[in-house]
Parts: sequence; structure tokens; C-alpha cells
Amino acid sequence: MARGDLHFPAVKEGVPIAALSGVGVRFGRMPVLRGVDLRIDPGEVVGIVGPNGSGKSTLLRILATLLKPTEGSASVLGAHVGSNGILAARSGIALLGHHPGLWAELTLEENLTFIARMAGAPTDGVATALEQVGLGGAKQRRADHSSHGMQRRVEFARVLLIKPQLLLLDEAHAGLDRAAQKLVNVTVSDVRRRAGAVVLVSHEPDRMLPLVDRTYHLEGGSLLPNGPAS
Amino acid sequence: MRKRSLIVINLLAVLAIGTGFTFAVLAPSERTQGDFAKIMFVHVPSAWLAFLAFGVTLVGGVVWLVKKSPLADRIAASSAEVGVFFTGLALVTGMIWGYPVWGTFWDWGDARMMSTAIMFFVYVGYLALRRSIPDPETRARRSAVLGIIAFVQVPLVYFSVTLFRTLHQGTTVVRPDAPIDPEFLRALMINLGAFTLVYLAFTGWRTRLARMEDELEEAEAVSDFEIAGSGITAPRLGEVTGDV
Amino acid sequence: MNGQTFWRQVKEIARKDLLIEGRAGEALFITIPFGAVALMLIPLAIGTDKPLLAQVGPGMFLAVALLFGMLVAFRQTAADSTPQRELLTLLGTDPAAQFVGRMATSTLLLLVFEAVLAPVTIILYNPGRIPGWPWLLLVMFLLALGLSLVGTLAGSVTAGLRTRNTLTPLLVAPLSMPLLLASAQVVEALREEASILLWIALLATMNLAIAVIGVLTARPLEESSR
Repeated sequence: MARGDLHFPAVKEGVPIAALSGVGVRFGRMPVLRGVDLRIDPGEVVGIVGPNGSGKSTLLRILATLLKPTEGSASVLGAHVGSNGILAARSGIALLGHHPGLWAELTLEENLTFIARMAGAPTDGVATALEQVGLGGAKQRRADHSSHGMQRRVEFARVLLIKPQLLLLDEAHAGLDRAAQKLVNVTVSDVRRRAGAVVLVSHEPDRMLPLVDRTYHLEGGSLLPNGPAS
Repeated sequence: MRKRSLIVINLLAVLAIGTGFTFAVLAPSERTQGDFAKIMFVHVPSAWLAFLAFGVTLVGGVVWLVKKSPLADRIAASSAEVGVFFTGLALVTGMIWGYPVWGTFWDWGDARMMSTAIMFFVYVGYLALRRSIPDPETRARRSAVLGIIAFVQVPLVYFSVTLFRTLHQGTTVVRPDAPIDPEFLRALMINLGAFTLVYLAFTGWRTRLARMEDELEEAEAVSDFEIAGSGITAPRLGEVTGDV
Repeated sequence: MNGQTFWRQVKEIARKDLLIEGRAGEALFITIPFGAVALMLIPLAIGTDKPLLAQVGPGMFLAVALLFGMLVAFRQTAADSTPQRELLTLLGTDPAAQFVGRMATSTLLLLVFEAVLAPVTIILYNPGRIPGWPWLLLVMFLLALGLSLVGTLAGSVTAGLRTRNTLTPLLVAPLSMPLLLASAQVVEALREEASILLWIALLATMNLAIAVIGVLTARPLEESSR
């Protein structure tokens, strides 16, 4: 499959990138999310704010299709979470969490090349992506010889490389130096430009506010709209 | 299962075991082995229950994978535990039986003994896996898969050892399944039934206990969550250090 | 997902795992010497009776190949962390492709493992010439394949657990018993110049059964598939 910009039917037909309706999640009997409704359209950047333990990461994992809701329904990139169609939709989703998923013994370049090949993206973009995140000089460095900050930058290179339609950022600014924080802006606008959507999750909204179209507040497992960001 | 029906099964099991024991004592002595053969009344039902129990574990695992019902996982786990107990009992009684009859506790050529021993270790591994996984969902998922692998493996083990044995004939002295006297057979059948009731009682109680364990775990998790949910509040370091 | 994509994923995963092993050397520089040491310890434990050693040599090779070879199959450096597993999932990786790719690398490494330990066994135990020994090459291949199948499967069941390193051998050892038994019986049958067909068939059946289970359970095993 060629990785053009608009290869997901959802984007073409004006269907939302992600739609949650009445989503609830329990771990055992413990409710973590309840009655969450959320619609994210192409080109939108949404911020979700909430204290530790409010269910932010759980919500993000639902949007990433890594978790199936206990109640309600969720569809991402036109496919229902829990259906077989989701397998194809997954390659249009990127999740950047707290821990970078890199293989320690491989160099930064090899990591990205592997990722590109698995995703079916062209590998000739690897060098450019590494240059873009400022790691052009460190591409031969093994991941376990790279600092945490460098590994985080590789994650952004991954987004630039595989061009997801839905980008999910969990505490994107944490652990990044000032220069690297610009990468958040760059990748977010890159996804937006391609009519994709971005969800940022943070417990400290200050740095993400300039990036988002609207914010929500997540508390005690319920999602409350805050209206358009100022 | 309701507590009342469990108690009924318990009473039935006790009655049946008593009956089984009486029939076992009254059964005639076996021609070549004498009274030694009577250990069969414990040995054979134990081995049969082991297979039944692991079969139930397999079914429970498959049902969990399809329906994700916690009950199926609890039954699978409880049945495996009871199964390991009965497998151990079958092995020990087999060895006790083997010594006077074969002249050795362990016969390498006996397919059933070998495969029972392997099965014992496979399911000890199954229980060890369960103990190692804290998250209930992950535990149920992975042990369901292991339960399937283990059960598919059992016939392969049995077949390979049988093949091994048929090529190495002549090591055993007496086949344990020599023709059986009808009175003997009747006593055996009664004991089979009695042991099955014991299995039902054990597994029933164990499943009930597993549910209570789950509820306790959840209650603890919910109370943790309520503390966390009502807000991990700002740390009050000043107050704490003030106390010290 | 079409077939070509599946096999391309298998290839990429196998390549990545080989590259990692090439850098980390866990199988080549740790497990292989460990296996060789084990082969040296046995004669010291049972006494250096030459005819006895020649008799038990092939069996010791098989036992060591099983007990230490399984360490190759679920080596630590081939275990993915949770972020890595989630990344692979979101890259659209088929769990079955992951199973097959990982298993392929382990088989290759186990063949190297056996290729080193076999001459060590011959030197230390001097088992003499076994009639029809080239058949043993086939047995070694089937043993490597079977062990990597069981090991990969058990490794995915214990992925990420604290007790992984001790628990996985407990799962693999009894499950791979038919592999050991059949391999050992081929050696014995060759020595007695009897037919080995049944045992080879058993090895092949065993491999096939576990391969089928591995591929079929790969998707239900994936945590995010619920």
C-alpha cells in the first residue's frame, strides 16, 4: 500500500478520525472512565487535561485501539475498536508514551528503518527524519547508548516518517529540552497539515494550550468540555 | 454455584466415598496380586479425575477466550488445582502399587505412569504461571492459551511413550489392566462415581473461594482508587516534616 | 492483510532479532559456552569410564541441547518490552508474523548451538561411529525447530513477568519431552540398525502441532486484541 497522504477512507468521506460514544472502562469493578463522548474530526487538535490517576492514559489507550471499552462504542479511522477492521486502521495511529519503544542493541537509524519497513513506509525517509529532529549526527549511535532525550526525539522522527492520521501524545513535553519541545509543535502541525488529528494529554496544560483547538477536562473518569482554547 | 448446592454435593460425596470404601474392602482379592490390587480403587479414579479436571481447564480457557467471563477462568483455575492434586495422588498410589507388583517404584516403560508424571509437571507450570501474573485479565488470557497447549500435548506425550514402550517390551512383570472380576469392576465403578463427586465438591468450593478472592482484590483496588481519585492532592511535606 | 505483507513482516522481524543477537551475543557467547561446560561436568559427575561415556554421549548431547537450547529460544534480548509490543501492534504487525519471525531466528541460533556442541560431544565422549549418522542431522534440525517453537510459545506466555527466567524453563521442559524421547530413540534405533521412520514422523508431527497452536493462539495472546 502506498503511503499517500489521504489513504484512510475516514478522511476522504468526512467521517470523524475518532468517535467515542458512551465509553466506559472498568478494571474489574473499578470504574476508570464513564460515559465518555468524544468526536475528533480531521485537522483537529484536542487537548485533555486531568490530574494523575484521572484516566487520561486509559482514554489514550482506547483511542490507540490498545484497549477495548467495557461499555459504549469506539471507532477510530473508520474502524470499530474490537472488530477485525481495526488491524488495518492501526498502522494509521501513532502513540508516544512515557517510554520510547526502541530496541536497545540497534542504532537509531536501524530502529527507524525497522519501523518504516514494518509499517510499509519508504525507508529513504529515515535519514531526513533523523535530520529533522536534530539527530543527523547520531544516527549510528545505539539506542542504549543514547540519552532519554535523544530517544524521545527518535519518537518524533518516527511520527514524521510514518505519517500517522491520528497522533496521540502522552505528556509530550515531559523530559524534553527547550529545543526538542519545538518538535512537538512541528509534528503536531505536520499531522494537522495532512488533515490528520492530534490528541494531547497532560496534567500541566500551559505548554499545550497554544497548540490545541479545544480542551477537555478529565476528572474522576468523566470528560467535561472546556470549550475552545483561549 | 450456590452454597446450598455445594453442601448437598459435599454430603453426597461423603456418602459415596463411604460406599466406595465399603465395596473396595468387600471386593474379592485379585488372583495374582492379592490385596495389593485394591489400591486400584484410589489409583484409577484419581487418574481419571486428573484427565477430567484438565479437560475442564481446557474448556474453561476456551470459554474465557470467547466470552471473557471471569467465572470460566475461575473454574479453569480451580479445576487445574484439583487436577494437580489428583495427578499427584495417582502418581503416588501408582508407585505404592508398583513396588510389590513390579518390584520397583518407577517403571520407565509404563506409558501411563510416564505421561501422568509429565502432565503433573505441565500443570504445576500452569499453576506457577497463574501465580506469576498479577493482572486478572492477562492471567486469564495467558493461562487459557497455556491450558490449550498443555491439553494438546497430553496425547502426544502419551503416544510417544506408548511407542517407546511397545519397542521395549518385557520390562514389566504384570500388566495392571489384567482381566477384571465383575465384582471388582463394580467396586471400581462405584469409586469412580464417588471420586467424581469429590472432584465436583473440591472444584465447586475452590471456584467459590476464587470468586471471594477476586472480590477482595477488587474491593482493595476500589478503595485504593477512591483515595487516588479524590485526588492525589498536593504533597503536604511541611506537615509531615513538622511531625518528625 | 495479504500474504506478501505477512511474509515481509516475518522477514523483518527475523532480521531484527538476528541483528540484536549479533550485537548482544547472548546465545553465541553466553549460552553456547554454558552448554559446553555442562557437557564437561557430566563425565566428572559420573566417572570417566570410557565405554560408559561413549554409550551415554549422544543422550547427554540431547539433554544439554534441550535444557540449554531452550535458553536460546527465550533469550532475554529477544523479549519485547511493553512499549515495544505496543509499537509493533500499532505498526499493524500480525502477531502470527511475530511468532513465526522470532521462531525462525531461534531455530537458526539453535542450529548454530547444536553445530558447536556436537563436535564437543564427539571429542569429550568419543561415541564411535553410529551407522546412518547423517540422519542425525535431520533429527538435529527437527529438534532445533521443535525447541524454538515450544520456547517461543512459552516465551510469549511469560512475556514481561518478573518470574520469566525461572518460569519459562519449567513450562518448556515437560512440554518438549516428546522431542527428547523421539530424538533419543532415533539414536538408539540407528545403533541397532532398526527403523527410525516412526520417530521421525513423531518429531515432525510434534513440530507441526506446536506450529499450528502457535500461529492460532498468537492473536488471542496479544493483550490489545480484546
